[in-house]
Amino acid sequence: MEANGRKIQIFVVEDNPGDIQLLRMALDTADLDYALTVVSDGREALDFVQQRGKYAHTSPPDLAILDLNLPKNDGLEILAAMRANGAFQEVPVAVLSSSSSPRDRAGVERFGIGRFIAKPPDLDEYLKIGLMIKELLAEKHSGRN
Amino acid sequence: MRTFRDRPIKQKLIMTIMLTSGVGLLVSGAGIVTVDAYLFRGHLQRDLSVLVGIMADNSTAAVVFNDPKSAGETLAALRAKTNVVAACIYRSDGTQLASYLRPGAKSACPPATAGAAIQSTGAGLTFSQPIVLQERRIGTLVLLYKAGEVSQRLRLYSATVLAVLLMSSFIAFLLSSRLSAIVATPILKLAHAATSVSSTKDYSVRAEKMSGDELGVLVNAFNEMLAGIQSRDNELRKALLDREDALAEATKARKFLETTLASIGDAVISTDIEGRIAFANPVAQSLLGLKEADLAGKHLDDVFRIVNEFTRAAVESPVAKVLRQGAVVGMANHTILIGRDKAEVPIDDSGAPIRDESGTVYGTVLVFRDVSARRKAEATTRLLAAIVESSDDAIIGHDLNGLFSSWNKGAERIFGYAAEETIGHPTSLIANPESGDEMPGILARIGNGERFPQYQTTRRTKSGKVIDVAITLSPLYDEFGRIVGASKIARDITEQVRAADRLAQANAALQRSNADLARTNDDLERFAFVASHDLQEPLRMITVYSQLLIKAFPGQPSDDTRMFIEYIVGGTKRMRELLSDLLAYSEISGQPEGSTSAVDLNVVLEKVTENLKAYIDETGASITSEPLPVLKAYEAHLSPLFQNLIENAIKYRGTEPPRIHISVQALEDQFQFAVADNGIGIEPEYREKIFVPFKRLHGKDIPGTGIGLAICQRVVERYGGRIWVESEVGRGSTFIFTVPLSRKEH
Repeated sequence: MEANGRKIQIFVVEDNPGDIQLLRMALDTADLDYALTVVSDGREALDFVQQRGKYAHTSPPDLAILDLNLPKNDGLEILAAMRANGAFQEVPVAVLSSSSSPRDRAGVERFGIGRFIAKPPDLDEYLKIGLMIKELLAEKHSGRN
Repeated sequence: MRTFRDRPIKQKLIMTIMLTSGVGLLVSGAGIVTVDAYLFRGHLQRDLSVLVGIMADNSTAAVVFNDPKSAGETLAALRAKTNVVAACIYRSDGTQLASYLRPGAKSACPPATAGAAIQSTGAGLTFSQPIVLQERRIGTLVLLYKAGEVSQRLRLYSATVLAVLLMSSFIAFLLSSRLSAIVATPILKLAHAATSVSSTKDYSVRAEKMSGDELGVLVNAFNEMLAGIQSRDNELRKALLDREDALAEATKARKFLETTLASIGDAVISTDIEGRIAFANPVAQSLLGLKEADLAGKHLDDVFRIVNEFTRAAVESPVAKVLRQGAVVGMANHTILIGRDKAEVPIDDSGAPIRDESGTVYGTVLVFRDVSARRKAEATTRLLAAIVESSDDAIIGHDLNGLFSSWNKGAERIFGYAAEETIGHPTSLIANPESGDEMPGILARIGNGERFPQYQTTRRTKSGKVIDVAITLSPLYDEFGRIVGASKIARDITEQVRAADRLAQANAALQRSNADLARTNDDLERFAFVASHDLQEPLRMITVYSQLLIKAFPGQPSDDTRMFIEYIVGGTKRMRELLSDLLAYSEISGQPEGSTSAVDLNVVLEKVTENLKAYIDETGASITSEPLPVLKAYEAHLSPLFQNLIENAIKYRGTEPPRIHISVQALEDQFQFAVADNGIGIEPEYREKIFVPFKRLHGKDIPGTGIGLAICQRVVERYGGRIWVESEVGRGSTFIFTVPLSRKEH
């Protein structure tokens, strides 16, 4: 849990190490100075967003990246829990999904928040996710101002 | 006009008298006038002939000497004769010597004639007298005498006769008027008396006798006759009164009999000894369809036509039979009376002779009745019996003691016992010994008024076989409404019970396999979803890390290494496409989010066109459409349907830029859509295969996985429609699909 006041705190829920690796590469490509908090289990992710257990004193991140398909609790449940916790309400969310299926997209859009991003099956496309995350953070900043 | 014959006697008398006297006077007057006229004419001619002769003699000298003067003087002497109009003397050569004309006369002398002559002409009488000297004619004297005197004299006579006639007629009328009364008055009085008697029927009137002549005799005879009639009349009146009393008595008795006969429900006809109808009561009239007036006097055989019901042969008149046998006869059975309108009425009848006090037969009486109601009831009874008898079910009667009281053919068939083996025997005969006989208990409860619904049980047949039966029991009532037994309908349902068992087993098996199928289907769908969904993940990893491998390869990868990695990437890319289409296909079968809504296909088409904009621009395709309807459906289904069809139409284009036209027809209970293109077309043998998932007709030169049309078919069939293609190779294809107008399940 490398917390650095200057670094952008990003909370990642992802169980696939390959994807975490690719995500880091994408964020690097976008020249972001970040610190990742990675959780690979749905239960643990819920604890995090509900600030329970060992995350009881963890402050909300600047951004959350959620994988839709997770062991135990899926991304949508975590999304719902974030909306329920006032401290997490303002946190921008990027939902990464391994499919672009309309059913998955509709499930996310039902919450009316966050950005749905299908994990692209192409390296160059994947690396562009970093830029999307950067845009999301910029939107958050302009929204606050 | 009244003829003379019809005039009153008085007038006749007057007319006779007046005619007689008038004709007498007329004839005598005419005779006198005629005779007088004749005599006068003779005298006149003689006188004038003498005068002419004298004058001729006197004129001789004047003619001889040709002295017109003396001749004229001679002629002038005629002045005394007022009726001489003209006179002339002619010489022998015919020339006129002298003439005399009465002043005012118009006529001239007629010419001389040869000899002495008297001629009657229109002007009058002409006398010619030769003037002779020494027997030689030396001239002629001609004299014209006006006839007026004769006719004048005739007129005078006629007037006289007429005056006498009128006078005598008047006197005759007066006399005859008086005299006729003497004869006519007694006759008139007699006539009056006769008229009075005949009009008033008062025989006490008497005619007045006025004379002792023949009329007097007549009046006497008339009065005597009246007296005779009067006494007879009185006797008659008395007899009549007696008779009326007797008649009233008879009428009363007759009325009573008639009322009795009319009140009888049977038809009654009586005839005389000849068989002619004397009486027919109202029921008889009604059955024969004739009024009493039409029947009276007719021979019975003419109106009472009867035939045998079966042979249709005429049946002998009952009257003839009665008269022949002199005894009461009943008529043969199955007799049909043929009424006036050919209406046929089955009847029962009997005939009997009518005898007077001495026992002599003088007529017959026939009694018959309409038995159609009874016959109908008999027919109904027979029909019911036949129904019971022919029923496939066993219909069995029970008395309350538990004994069989009836047993039909159906019962014989089902249980194997004949009727005579069961009737009077207890119900235990057919009971199944294993389950016992429930009938006596049930019958006792039916006797107490309990009702039983249908139930199933088992029975044992004569052969010992146990069968399943369905039993319906109903109480039997007598005519006073008392329960006297029960009817039982038993149906052999052994086969049905077995069939039902088999059906239940089959149903259970079917339900099991249905559940299996549903589970398999669910598993398959889940598998398809999971496979397409979750398999994406590792594939993506392979692709991305293969790409990364090239990028991060230490040093430069060899061409082979690069090529192999590209094969890996290509393979995974293809696999990903297949998986993504499989996912799309499996999602069509699943339950979409939300519910159906009114989907405007025009909007769907617009969106699809927008999705395909790049492709359309690239190929120069033109898409036209008729106005499309609004359907109640999921938009998530309709978009892929239209998109796949249009995309295919562009994809499989010919050399020409694609032209795509979408049309729709509203049929009776469905819409029929058609998406027509001008593409390369489809060979007939592939027109069904193209709808099979992942079935493709082309190689890698045309991209695609072969799922598009399978999705289209799945969508259309989900809405209860049908999709097919009509095509001409090289000219284009038309994909046609139908969507029923209303369906609850999608």
